[in-house]
This record gives sequence, structure tokens and C-alpha cells, in this order.
Amino acid sequence: MTGMEILRLVLDAASIGMMATGMVFVLAGALGVLRLPDFFTRMHAAGVTDTLGAELIIFGLILQSGFTLLSAKLLLVGFILFLTSPTATHAVANAAHRAGQKPLLSRHHPAHPRDRVEQGGE
Amino acid sequence: MMDGFDWTQLLDFALMAMLLAVGIAIVRLRNLFAAVMLMGVYSLLSAAWFVTLDAVDVAFTEAAVGAGISTVLMLGAMLLTAREAEPVKAGRHWAALVVVLATGAALFYAIGDMPAYGDPNSPANAYVGLDYLIRTPQEIAVPNVVTAVLASYRGFDTLGETVVIFAAGLGVMLLLGLGGRKPRRDTEEEDEA
Amino acid sequence: MSPHLVLRVVSKLLIPIIVVFGFYVHFHGDYSPGGGFQAGVIIASAVILYALIFGVEAARNAVPPLVVRIGAALGVLIYGGVGVATLIMGENYLDYDVLHPDQAHHTGQHIGILLVELGVLTTVFSVMLAIFYAFAGRAPDIPEEEW
Repeated sequence: MTGMEILRLVLDAASIGMMATGMVFVLAGALGVLRLPDFFTRMHAAGVTDTLGAELIIFGLILQSGFTLLSAKLLLVGFILFLTSPTATHAVANAAHRAGQKPLLSRHHPAHPRDRVEQGGE
Repeated sequence: MMDGFDWTQLLDFALMAMLLAVGIAIVRLRNLFAAVMLMGVYSLLSAAWFVTLDAVDVAFTEAAVGAGISTVLMLGAMLLTAREAEPVKAGRHWAALVVVLATGAALFYAIGDMPAYGDPNSPANAYVGLDYLIRTPQEIAVPNVVTAVLASYRGFDTLGETVVIFAAGLGVMLLLGLGGRKPRRDTEEEDEA
Repeated sequence: MSPHLVLRVVSKLLIPIIVVFGFYVHFHGDYSPGGGFQAGVIIASAVILYALIFGVEAARNAVPPLVVRIGAALGVLIYGGVGVATLIMGENYLDYDVLHPDQAHHTGQHIGILLVELGVLTTVFSVMLAIFYAFAGRAPDIPEEEW
């Protein structure tokens, strides 16, 4: 009886911790999108933190729902997010790069690779 | 703690504010690509709003059709035209604003006569709706009442809807063709010649 | 290395999942939100995703326009056919109870709903793809630089 209660408590604490951490990550991502200087850094903020934050929140919810069908569905949602979120970030960043969006570089300013031939060989 | 205050209301208000912001942004934008993307965002937001209103079936449809397919179709249509909208004369802006404001004022005037959200005595919930809820477990034995109403009680309506979708598809096929092999090759030859 | 390699790999992984999810939405429509319409749209969106990433021509090979053309009519035919079947079995049009002798569990209703929704699925899937093919066949393919 007490063992089950302790387990319940530990699970609750873990899930609350995970969800709180996830919220911090998502909030950091939102702040980053608002505050960072150029497109690629904003993309970075939105993409990286969002994936981790959403995954953490989903794992917290899985701990809440226990060993049920709901957990399986949440796991699937997590898996889909894990695949799609980085892919979407990659696609947007790739499109911006190919459209000629330059990253903001403060230290050095290399010539932008305008010629497509060199880029294709990468 | 405030008793009886429905905190999910705040979520509704936040979503509605976001819908309003996206709508205004769509009106203001001249770049058609961004407008199409924002229309997808609008559909996704309204899907989330439908979820908070417990209309999960509608939300599902809105997310799949509005945010998914219609965005792609609008993109395809946009590829056939320009990327930027033509600037509109100022006079037409004012005419549109007057129409929108008049409609909005009429809708706000009508709010007073609307039943409260989820009111069990409202006409939608009292007569036929209540009947469906009571009879579905006995007559259809399907947990999802929406499906029971849609496919069984209102089977004729759904048949009509299916025929409407078919007619729409037929119209598009007749007017535009399926873009199949043959007409494509013809146009390519024309381009070469 | 193709610039869309990541998109291609991930979408190849995702498209089967999307299709399976679409069928889940259809066959689970009695128990959870969803039904034929949503399932048709989801499966069509899987094919459209395939077309967006691998090109419209590849999607036309996977789901030929002939299939789309037949499917659009076939769905309505399935729906109306269920009604005619109930008529022949001696009941009203679209009264599914006669479809199965097990009246205690309303199995006829379940069969009827599933069949009817299958008709909706077929029509919606085909019409969505038909509209997409009609538009995508006219638009020039998106040039590489604009990805």
C-alpha cells in the first residue's frame, strides 16, 4: 500500500518535473524567436527547443496516464513529432539557404556562394 | 480560487484573439504565398479552437482539409498566377470595411438571442439532439453518436453530401481535366513548336 | 547528394504511417472521432505529400488518374448500393438493420455504417486527388531554387 503510494508520488514528481522542463524549453524557444537577430538563429531557437520541449511534455503525460492505450497513442504522437519537427526545421532552413538567405556572421564575411555548381558539389 | 469560473474560457479567448490577428494579417498581406500559409495557420488555429469546444470531429476535418489539403490546393492555384496581389484602390477598402462592420454589428446584436454555450435547454440540444443521444445506445449501439447520426439517422443527408463532393470533383475534372498524360504532351509540343 | 534527401527519407517513413492512420480513423469511426470523410482526406493527403516530395509524375504512377476517376464514382455507387441492398432485403432505403440477422447487437447497423463510410472514403479520396491532379497538372513544377 505505502509502496504503491510512494511509486505514485515518484511518478507524479517525475512527470511534473518533465512537463515543467518542457515548458521552460518551449518558452525559451518562443523567446528566442522573438529576440534572436537573424533568420537562422531564430530557426534554431524554434526548432531545437520545440522538439525537446514537446517530447518532454509528452513523456510527462505518458507518466501520468500509466500503462494504458492512451500512453501508446501519446508515444506515437511523440514519435511523429520526433520525426516531423526536425524535418520541418531542416526543410525551412534548407529552403532559406537555397533562396539566398545569408546567415548573420559577425566575425568574418565570406563571399556568398552564388554559383550553383559549387553548391551542388557539396 | 474563483468558484464556477471555467478556466478553459481563457484558452478560447486566446485562440480567438490569435484567429483575429491571423485574419487581419491575411487581409493586410500582399504576398500571396504568405497569405496562403497564414490561411493554413488560420485553419489549424480554428481546429484547436474546435477541440476546446469539444467538437473533435469538426476539428479533425478542419485540420485535415483546411490546414492540409486546401493549403496545398491554394499553393497549386497560386503557382498559376502571380506571387504578389495587385494593389487595391482605397475606395474598395472602405466599402469592404463597411460591409464587414455591418455584418459584425448584426452578429453582435444577435448574440443576445443565442443560448448559452452548452445550454441543455437550447433548441439544438433539446429536441432531436436529445433524442439521438438517448436512442443511439439502444438502436445503433455505437459509442460515437456523431457517427451514428451522420451515417445512420441522417444517412440520406450524408448520401447527398457524398454526391455533392462527387459533383464537385466531376466539375473540376470536366473543366480542368485530370492533367493526365495526353493533354500534357500536347501542351509540351506546343511549347516546343 | 540531393538537397531534399532528408525530406525524402522522412516522408518515405511517414507516408505509410499516414495511410495506416487514415484507415484507423475509418474503421475506428464508430468508437472515436472520425469517419469516412476524414479518413479519405488523410489518405489523399498522404498521396499529395508523396507528390510534393517526389513529383506529381511519381504520384500519377502510384495512383493513376484512371483509378481516381473510377474511385470518385465508385464511392457514390457503394453508398447508394448499400441502400439498394437494404431495399432488396425488404426494408427501407438505407435501413441497415436487415443487413445482418443479429438484431440484439445491432450488427447490421455497424456493417451498414462501415460500408457507407467506405463509400464516402472512396469518393472523398478520389475527388481530393482529382482536384489536386487537375491543379498540379497545370502548374509548372516548382523550380529547384524555390524550395
